[in-house]
Amino acid sequence: MNRAWNSTLWLLSGLMARPASAAALLFLAAMVIVSLFADLLPIDPFAQRLTDALKGPSAANWFGTDELGRDIFARVIYGARTSLSTAAAAVVIAASVGIPVGLVAGFFGDWRDTVLMRFIDVLLALPAILFAMALIAVLGRSQMAAFIAVGITGIPNFARITRARVLSLRKSDFVTAVEAFGGSSGYNMFRTILPNAWSPILVQVVVLCSVAILLEAALAFLGVGVAPPTPSWGEMLRTGKSYLYEAPYYAVLPGVILTLTILSFDVIGRALASLLEDRHDAGGVQIERTAS
Amino acid sequence: MKNALLRPIRTLGVLLALATAPALVIATPSQAEELQGGTMHVGVLADMTNFDPMQFSTVNFPLIKNLYDSLIEYTPEGEAIPSLATDWTIAEDHMSVSVTLREGVKFHSGAVLTSADIAATLAKATDPKKGKNVYSTMAIVKDWTTPDDKTVVINFKAATPDRQMLDLLQFVMPIEAAGIETVETVPAGTGAYKLDSRAVGQNIVLTANEDYWRENEPILGEVRFTIFSDDASASAALESGGLEMVYGGAARSAVRLQDAGYQVIRGPGPLVQVFRINATKAPFDNAKFRQAFNYLLDREGILRVGYAGLGEVVALPWAPASPAFDASYTEKYAFNPDKARELFTESGLSKAEMEDWKLLVYGTDAASTTISQIVQAALADLDINIELDVREGSEYVEAQLSGDYKATFGGVGNVQKFPSRVSTNSIYRTANNPVLKDPHPFPEYVAAIERVNTTLGPDEAVKAAYDHLNQVLVESSFAIPTNSYEIGLIVASPKLSGFTLDIDNLLVARTIGFKE
Repeated sequence: MNRAWNSTLWLLSGLMARPASAAALLFLAAMVIVSLFADLLPIDPFAQRLTDALKGPSAANWFGTDELGRDIFARVIYGARTSLSTAAAAVVIAASVGIPVGLVAGFFGDWRDTVLMRFIDVLLALPAILFAMALIAVLGRSQMAAFIAVGITGIPNFARITRARVLSLRKSDFVTAVEAFGGSSGYNMFRTILPNAWSPILVQVVVLCSVAILLEAALAFLGVGVAPPTPSWGEMLRTGKSYLYEAPYYAVLPGVILTLTILSFDVIGRALASLLEDRHDAGGVQIERTAS
Repeated sequence: MKNALLRPIRTLGVLLALATAPALVIATPSQAEELQGGTMHVGVLADMTNFDPMQFSTVNFPLIKNLYDSLIEYTPEGEAIPSLATDWTIAEDHMSVSVTLREGVKFHSGAVLTSADIAATLAKATDPKKGKNVYSTMAIVKDWTTPDDKTVVINFKAATPDRQMLDLLQFVMPIEAAGIETVETVPAGTGAYKLDSRAVGQNIVLTANEDYWRENEPILGEVRFTIFSDDASASAALESGGLEMVYGGAARSAVRLQDAGYQVIRGPGPLVQVFRINATKAPFDNAKFRQAFNYLLDREGILRVGYAGLGEVVALPWAPASPAFDASYTEKYAFNPDKARELFTESGLSKAEMEDWKLLVYGTDAASTTISQIVQAALADLDINIELDVREGSEYVEAQLSGDYKATFGGVGNVQKFPSRVSTNSIYRTANNPVLKDPHPFPEYVAAIERVNTTLGPDEAVKAAYDHLNQVLVESSFAIPTNSYEIGLIVASPKLSGFTLDIDNLLVARTIGFKE
C-alpha cells in the first residue's frame, strides 16, 4: 500500500513537473470534479425556455442556449458526466477482460495463447465504430449499451499490451525463482508478473479513456449514443452542426471541450509513458491506440 | 362542368391566394418567353426511391411532376385546369366522370397517349400491391370503360362529391401501358423531362423532352439534381454558386437565406404535423388521457422551434386553405397545462400507468427530435416522466407504418384537398389502419368520414358534415395535429424565375428559366 502510494505520488509529481501534462491534469481534474458535483451547481441542463432559443453567450448563459432554450454550459457540464462515466466503465470492462486474457496467453503460451490471441485478432479486425453500432443495434440505445460497446472494442489493446509485457517478464529470474519455490501459475501471474507489468497497462488505461470518449461522442454524433434529452457532447455536436450559421457557438464550444479533454488524456498518456520509460530500463512502455 | 366547381373550392382558392400571395412567384406566359434555357443545378437532401409516380414519397417529389403529367392540375388557388385531359364531364347523378384525353401527347418512348394507357394506369392503382399511395384514393372507384382511344369513363361505387372526383383525376399520372411492369426502374411518363442518367446516392440528370406537348416548355435544357447528406451542405453549395436551387431544405435555412436575398417559394400544399396516438394500447386507451394532449402540446413553441415559424398552428388535420379548416378549434385547444393536468387526473390513471410508454422519435429528422423533447418536457412539468425511443431511418419508418408504437409525431398530407382525403394517411385510415387495426376502434370517426363522402349538398349540409367530422376528431383524439409546415420548400438563386406552384408542392421545372 505504501509502495503504491509512493508510486502514485511519484507519478503525480512527475506529471506536474511538466507544464503540458500539468495543465492537462488540472483540466481533467476540474472536469471530473464539476461533473461529479454538477448537481450542486445552480444549473439545469433540461430546463427549456423556448422563447430564449439559440441566444448567444451571455452572463446568464455562458455558452449560450440551444434550440430549446436550454443552457449549453449546463449541458456541457452534464455531458462531461456522460462522457467520463462511459469512458471509466469502458476501461473497467476492457481491462477486466483484456488483462486476464493477455496474462494467460503470455504466461502459458501453447494452444491457449493461439486460441486467445486469434479471438483477439478477430476483435481487432472489426472496425471499432461499426462493431459498437452493431452491438447497440442489438442491445438498444442507452448509456449502458454505449459503454459495453466501447469497452469490448478496447479489450484487444489491453490483451496485447499485457501479453507482450508478460512475454518479456516470463523468463525473468524472479519469475523462475518463484516457480522454483513452488509458486502456482495463478500466484505467479497475478502476484509476481502483473505487479511488474502495470506500467504499460496504466498508460493504456489513459489512452483508452480518450479513445472511449471519442468513440462515445462519435456514436452520439451518428445518432446511436445516449438518447435525448440526456446531455452528450457528441449529441450536441450532431444537433449543433444544423445551426452552424445561426449559432456557431452551439457546436463549437462543446467541440472545443471535447477536443481539450481528449488532448489532455493524450498528453498525460505520453507523459506517463515517458516517465515510466525513464524509470523502467528494461522493456520500456508500449503505447497502443486504435483509431475509432 | 369544369367551371362548375363547388363553393368550397372557390373558398379554397381565395384563402390560398390570400395566404400565399406575398411569397409566391407564379409563371406566366410573358415571363416564360423572357426566360433563358440552360442547366439548372438543384440540391436535394435524399435520393429518390424509384420512378413509379404512384409511390408518392417526399423523396420522389423533385422528379414526379417532371417525368409525368397528371390528367388535370389544380392552380394554386385550387381551380381545376386541363392537363392531359382537355375536358371532363361529371354525370348528373354523380356516379361517373367522362374524361377526354389531349391529342398528340407522346410518352418518352414515342408512343401516343391513348385511353388504353389510362386503363392500365387505373388497373395498377386499384391493385393492392401495385397501387401504392394512389390505392386508397381509388377506393371510391367501381370500374372504368374506354369507349374510344381518347375517352375514359370512370364509374364510382356511390354518388361522389365533385371535388373528390377532381382530386382523383389530379392524382392519376398516366403511365405507358407497356411500361407499367418496369416503371420502378424505367420512367414511362409524358413529362417535360426525360431521365438522362442516375448515379445512386449521388445525382440524377434530366434532359428536356423535345416532343413535349406544352408550347415553349420546358425552358431549361437540363436539370441536374445533386444529393446532399445534410441541409447545411446544400445551403453552402447554393451560396457558393454551385447550385441554383435547393429543394426540400429546412425551413430554418430558408428563413436565413431569404434574409440573404435568395428567393423562398412556398407552395400551397403543406403537411400537417400530427401527434399520432395508438389508442388501442394503454395508457392511450383512456380517452381522458388522450384528450389531455390537446392542451399539453405547445403548438406555438413547436412551430417556432421545429419549423422556424414557417407554417400555421392548427388543432385539426387541415391546412388553413382546406374547406374543413376551423380556426375556432385552434383557439379552443390552445396550450393549457392546467387543463391537461385536470384531464390527466380525471383519467383515473396512476402515475406509473401514465408513465408506462415511450415516445417514438424519428432521429433522422431534427425537427421530430426537437418537438418530441418539447412534449417530454411538458409532461415532466406535470411530473409525468417518459423516455424517448429514438430510432433512425428505416427502423423508425417500419415502426411507424406497422403501428409498433404508442405515440409518435408524423406529418400527414392531402390536407388542402377534399377532407376525406385525410384518410389516405395511415393513422387516419378508416380500414386497414396499421395502428388502430380492424375493426376501427372509433366507428363514429368512420361514420363521419362516410358522411363527408356522401353529402353532396346543399352547402349547409356539407358544412355540417365537416363540423361533425371535426368534433369527432378532437373527441376521439387518436391523432392530435399541432401545425402545418412546409414540404418541398424551394430556395432559389435570384437568377431563376418562372416557378409553377404545384398543389402538392412537387417540383415543376418546366416553366423555370434563367432571367436575362
